[in-house]
Parts: sequence; structure tokens; C-alpha cells
Amino acid sequence: MPWYSAGPLTGPAGAARQALDDVMRVRRGWRWNAPRPHTWPEQGAVVPAPPSDLGWARVEPVRSVRWLIQRLLLMPFTEAMVHPKVEGRGWVRELKRPAIFAANHSSHADTSLILYSLTDEARDRTVVAAAADYWFKHPVLGNIVSLFLNTFPFSRTGGAQGQLHSSSELLKSGWNLVLFPEGSRSPDGRIQEFKPGVGFLAKETGTPVVPVHIQGAFQVMPRHQRLPLPGPVRVRMGKPMSPASKEGTREFTARVEKAVRTLATKPEQPDVQGTWIERWRASKPRELRYGDGG
Amino acid sequence: MPRPGAVIEVDRNTPPALFHFGEGVRLEKLPLGARIVYPPDPLEPIAHPERAIKRALARPLEDDPLKALLRRGMKLTIAFDDLSLPLPPMAAPDVRQLVMEEVIDMAVEVGIEDLHIIAALGLHRRMTEDELRHIVGDRIFSTFYPDRLYQHDGEDPENNVYVGKTAHGEEVTLNRRAAESDLVIYVNLTLVPMDGGHKSMSTGLASYRGIRAHHNVKTLLGSRSYMNPPDSALHHSCIRQGQLIEDTVRVFHIETTVNNHAFPAIANFMQKRETDWTAQDQAMFLATKQMTDLAPPAFKRNVFHAMRAPYGLTAVHAGQVDAVHDKTLDAVNRQIAVHVEGQTDIVTIGVPYLGPYNVNAPMNPVLVLCMGAGYLFNFYRNKPVLRKGGVLILTHPCRYEFDAVQHPSYIDFYDEVLADTKDPAEIEQKYELRFAEDPWFRQLYRKSHAYHGAHPFYALYWAAHAMDHAGDIIVVGGDREVVHHLGLKCATTLEDALEMAEQTVGRYPSVTHLRTPPIMLCEVD
Repeated sequence: MPWYSAGPLTGPAGAARQALDDVMRVRRGWRWNAPRPHTWPEQGAVVPAPPSDLGWARVEPVRSVRWLIQRLLLMPFTEAMVHPKVEGRGWVRELKRPAIFAANHSSHADTSLILYSLTDEARDRTVVAAAADYWFKHPVLGNIVSLFLNTFPFSRTGGAQGQLHSSSELLKSGWNLVLFPEGSRSPDGRIQEFKPGVGFLAKETGTPVVPVHIQGAFQVMPRHQRLPLPGPVRVRMGKPMSPASKEGTREFTARVEKAVRTLATKPEQPDVQGTWIERWRASKPRELRYGDGG
Repeated sequence: MPRPGAVIEVDRNTPPALFHFGEGVRLEKLPLGARIVYPPDPLEPIAHPERAIKRALARPLEDDPLKALLRRGMKLTIAFDDLSLPLPPMAAPDVRQLVMEEVIDMAVEVGIEDLHIIAALGLHRRMTEDELRHIVGDRIFSTFYPDRLYQHDGEDPENNVYVGKTAHGEEVTLNRRAAESDLVIYVNLTLVPMDGGHKSMSTGLASYRGIRAHHNVKTLLGSRSYMNPPDSALHHSCIRQGQLIEDTVRVFHIETTVNNHAFPAIANFMQKRETDWTAQDQAMFLATKQMTDLAPPAFKRNVFHAMRAPYGLTAVHAGQVDAVHDKTLDAVNRQIAVHVEGQTDIVTIGVPYLGPYNVNAPMNPVLVLCMGAGYLFNFYRNKPVLRKGGVLILTHPCRYEFDAVQHPSYIDFYDEVLADTKDPAEIEQKYELRFAEDPWFRQLYRKSHAYHGAHPFYALYWAAHAMDHAGDIIVVGGDREVVHHLGLKCATTLEDALEMAEQTVGRYPSVTHLRTPPIMLCEVD
């Protein structure tokens, strides 16, 4: 027993240092991306465990922590960097049930921009499909991204039925889903062909799809660039679309793609022209139309 | 079916009670036998607000349907309440936005071109563009701002008109645009019984000249309380002014009420009774408590002021002002009324981070007094929960901190006026006019985002009734120097405050804790 009396903080400080040491030891002990040492036995051929859908990220208190992170970090940062101009938010407000937000994808900034564009209520109930082979290659990174953005692993390689099933389960349990049907970021900023997963999900669950077009994100943070640059960005949301009863998955996907392309080419909203009556009429969400059958 | 309000008696099994403590929270063990008064649970909101609004406009009370009142070529003005309501600000969409969108759609249908939208600020500060946008929504803001959507200026000599004098000699002024309109549609949100009715027009669109007729010590001391309009001299005065305004201009009133679901899911523990807390609520309390204990005030303020309340619309009525307001008051009372038996020697109240006059700003010491001894004390009907000569105990850090942009006149008021005297009547007589006519404060009110020069006086007058009624007011956890400067007493802990209170009210006092917010109105027998 020491001759001196311990101060009131000695105990807690020691415990905290011990915990920190443990964390650092674990952090340094495993290197997930290092090549496997040749002295280690080869892994046996086993059936891989079903991938985690990161359910922990969608329960309390993680949701509250994410709410704080998004409100205090993500949204102010997005606002400060690009000051996005959002059009068609009224469609989100009018949604009475979960929806799929299908957007073009040209940048890592896209997810933040879409979350920024949603209403508070919709954002708190939104999961983001993130490429399993990219974001979840390193478990630590995948979990951190999930904490920030509520992502879950979405397989973009073959045999994706299982993944589509977990996505539809999320939709059925009341979550909105952000999906980039192109599959990966555009190399040059132009919209690529949409993969049919979005149509499949919409058909299976009867969920409406909200087409979203993001303009300017490619200039902010293109592929192979690590840090975002400030620049103007516009996020435009369209009218929710539902597949017709006899419409096939691929036909519906093509229609969604067309809607996104239409949003990209649509002229500026006439918000600075005409009398207020004309501006009011022009800004009415229900009057936005794109293509046939929309 | 939501539970009504409740009064429980503290026994050995009662969990500690939550006290708001500015931008923080505390759990306090109350003495055995003390009472805790809880507000009713939030009422079920209307499932389809848009439909309810349409219905109210089509079938107004004691007035023609709104569509019948609109005609091409008329001069139409929509006025709406500013950001001092509701508290905390409502999660988008605000009900005022929904109502205004419906009204504007009708005006477009008829083909009315001359339409202006005015934020009825009274002598409150001008809102920032973002605050304005939050209330009216993106669509209205982008269509009308800034030429047709703007904020009332009570000091603009060109744009305010003198309407006349009531039989009691109260002067009445009105915004010129409203006065010259063929029809004014007032869109109101009533959170507490003090708001709405004739008070909307007679304060929201008036100038200092009109407002000082009822915002004075005599009227407020004669209001028992101003949260109960039939017993409120303030409201009687507003009604007289309002009737004169209604004789001058045609006004169609639309009043909405919301439930008391004041806190988002993250702060569920603030909404719930302690006996209903789950482990998750306890964890959230602990996390919030640690955060607020350690974080600097500016950080805490940003976190708290970012909260948006998930209020739900509970009623919407339209038509003639008195008929509408009666229905509105019924709806409000259904949500906030709690039956309380008898008065007590000591009342304890936790003062929260937010009051009507410090949205996106710190609650300065004068506003702490206004909030605790003004608003929260006055939430009663018949008689106060506190007996005459009893002790009111408030919990708040009560620091010397002011927002120089929003509250410039408050700084001078605190440093100069309160250093001289704490007597509201003397303060009114000696200082009010000088502050009200100060050209610098006037300039800041008109061009910046500052409250009017006379506003700190009103904040003090709100508390005049409680200061007169209570034997002592003790602030727990406050900055000693600041609390003494306000003329109140300071204690470090609630136990100390209760000991101090015994010096005034005697041994073994009866204690009642008002667990508010959410807001409640105590009906005391």
C-alpha cells in the first residue's frame, strides 16, 4: 500500500489509460489489408458466412449518435463546401411510405448530397446501399461509414439475389433506400447504363422510386480524388414512379433511367421569371413530368 | 388514448425528477411528500393536415368560405406569426406553411395579383432568411421573397398608420399594407392560451405606440394570469384594440394548434415522465448530462438549438376571430390543462434553454427571469400553484451572456437599469421611453436582427406578477453575482434552496415541482 493517499482521479484515469492501451493494441495487432504471412496455414475452403447487414447501425443509440454526427458535421460541412441547390424536395415530403431514391453516381460526395436533400424525417429513416466489395473490404472502414451514413453492404457482383432480398426486407420494414443503379461512379461524369436491381426491388416490394439527378458532384470530387473541392451542386428530385402491373423489371429500370436523364436535361426552373402567379404555378411539384408513362 | 396530466406524490420509490437547467439537465431527488405535476401526453395529431385545412377554409366559423371572399383585382395580405412560436421550432413542414400554401393556391385560382405576405413581428427581431424560409417553406420563399414576402417594421413611419383610440384610450396602430388591404388573412399558430385571437393583429402588426398600451406594468399586474385570457387585463386591452382594427379592415383568421410533442426522439427522456423511462432513456440522459457538463456553452447551444420539435397539428379553425379563438382555446386547453388541488409553499421549475425571445441565441439573465418568473410561473388558471408569499425555486446557470446582435438593448438594460432599481413600475417610468426612442436601438431593430429597444422592459414586466406574488425567488446553480443583480437569491443545490426557502415559509413546507416543458396549464382549485 503506498504511503501517499491516491487522488480522486487516480482510479478513473488509470482505468481510462488501460482501456485506451487495449484499444491501441487491438488496432495495431490486426492489419486487414496486409498480405497473409506465409507461415500461417492456408484458410480452408468453407462456405462463407452470410455477410452482415450491419443491423447495429439501425438501432438506438447508434441512430441518435448518427443524428448528432449528421447534424453537427455532415450537413454543415456539405452546406459549407457546395451549398447545394435542392429542387423537388416537396416530393419527399409527400411520401407516405418508404421509397427508393435512385440517383446518378459520379462522386463519393453523392451520398452526402442526397442525405442533405432529404427532409429531416426522411433522412432519419434512410439506409444507403454501399458497394460491399469496396466499402466493406476493411471492416473498420465499413463500420465507420455505416455509423456516419447508415450504409449497408450491397453486392454488385453476380449472385446478388440474397443482397436484393435483404434490401427488400429493409424496405418492407419501413426504411427508405438510396441506390445508385449505375453500380459504380462514372469515370467521366456522364450517366452510365442502369443495372436492373432497382427495378427488381421496386417490383418485389411495390415501393415507389424517386429519380434523383445530382449535377456538379463530379467536379467537386471525381474518381481518384481524395478531398472534395468547393463548387456549385444542384440536386433535383422527380416525381415518385411505380412499376405498372405488366411492366417488366428491365423496362421499369429503363424508365427510371430515362427519368433521371430527363431531370438532368430539364431547363432551369423558371424561379426568377414571370409574375408570382407564374412562378408559383411553375414550382408546383405535381406539374413536373418526364417522358412517357411517368 | 393519450394520458391526461397527472399529479403524483413523491414516496420512497419515486425516481428522481428531471430539471431543465438551461442548456443542460439535472436529476433531483425531491423531499418525501412533495408533488410532481406532469403535463398530458401529446394528443393524436390530425392524420391529414391538408384535408383539415381545406375543410376549415371551406366551412369557416361565422364567416363566408374563404373562396367567396376572394375576387380578382383585390388587394390581399397574408400575415403570419414569427419564429417565437412554436418552441422549439417545428420540424418542417411548419403548419403555417401548409395553411399559406392552401390560401395561395386559392388566390392563384381566382387570379389575385396583388398579394403580399408579412411576418407579424411586432417588436420582435427580424428573422434571418433561413429562419423565414423554415417557416414558410421553400416554395413560398422562392416565389415571394423579398419583394412580396417581408417582415413588419414597427418603426417605419411611412408604413404604419394610426387607426384610432379605444374607449379606454388605448392607441391603435397598424401596418399600412394591412390597413389598406381589401382582405387580411391572419395565419396563426397557438401554442399557449396567451397567443392568438385579437392579440395577433393588435401586437403583431402594430408599432411601439400601439403595443405599449397593454405591455405595461399596470396591465400585466392586472392579469391573473395572462395565460388565462378571461382573467387577463392584457387580453382585454388587445380585444378592444382588435375590435377597432376589425372595424377598419376585413380580417379572416386562421388559427392552428399543435400537440405538446416538443422533443425529437433523441431527447425522448425530456418528453417522458421519469417513471416511464427505459434503460435507453437513462442512457440518453447520462450521455446528455455528461455532454452538457463538459462541453463549452457555445457547443451545447448549437446542439440544443438544432432540435426541431415533431409537433402534430391538432386543430385548425378559420373564420371570425372570436368564434375561431374560442375553439382554438378549447383545443389548446385539451392538450395542456392539468388539474392541481390547492396551492403550495414552494414551487420548483427547471428553466429550459429556450424561450420565445432567444431562438438561436443564449438565454440572457433578463430572459431567464422572464421565462421562469414570467412565462412558466404564469401557466395557471384560477390562482397560482404557489401561495402568496411562497418561494419560487428555478434552476438555471444564469450566466452573464448576451447575444450582441439579437439583444443589444438587453445589455444596457441589465448593466444600467437593473443596477439602479429592480422595481418594475419605477423602471417603466424612468427608463422605458428613453430606450424605446434610442436611435441606435431603433436602427438595429429595423435593419439588423435586434429586438426593439423597449423589449427588455417587457421581459421584466412579464415577471412583475411573480415578483410581486412570491416571497422569494431562488435560482439554483446560477452565477451568484448575476442572480443578485436581478434581485433574486442564489443557491448551489436544490437542498440548499429548500433550506433557504424554509426561512421564508416555515418548517416542513409543501413542495410542488412543475415538470415543464412540455407546456402545461395548471388549473388550481
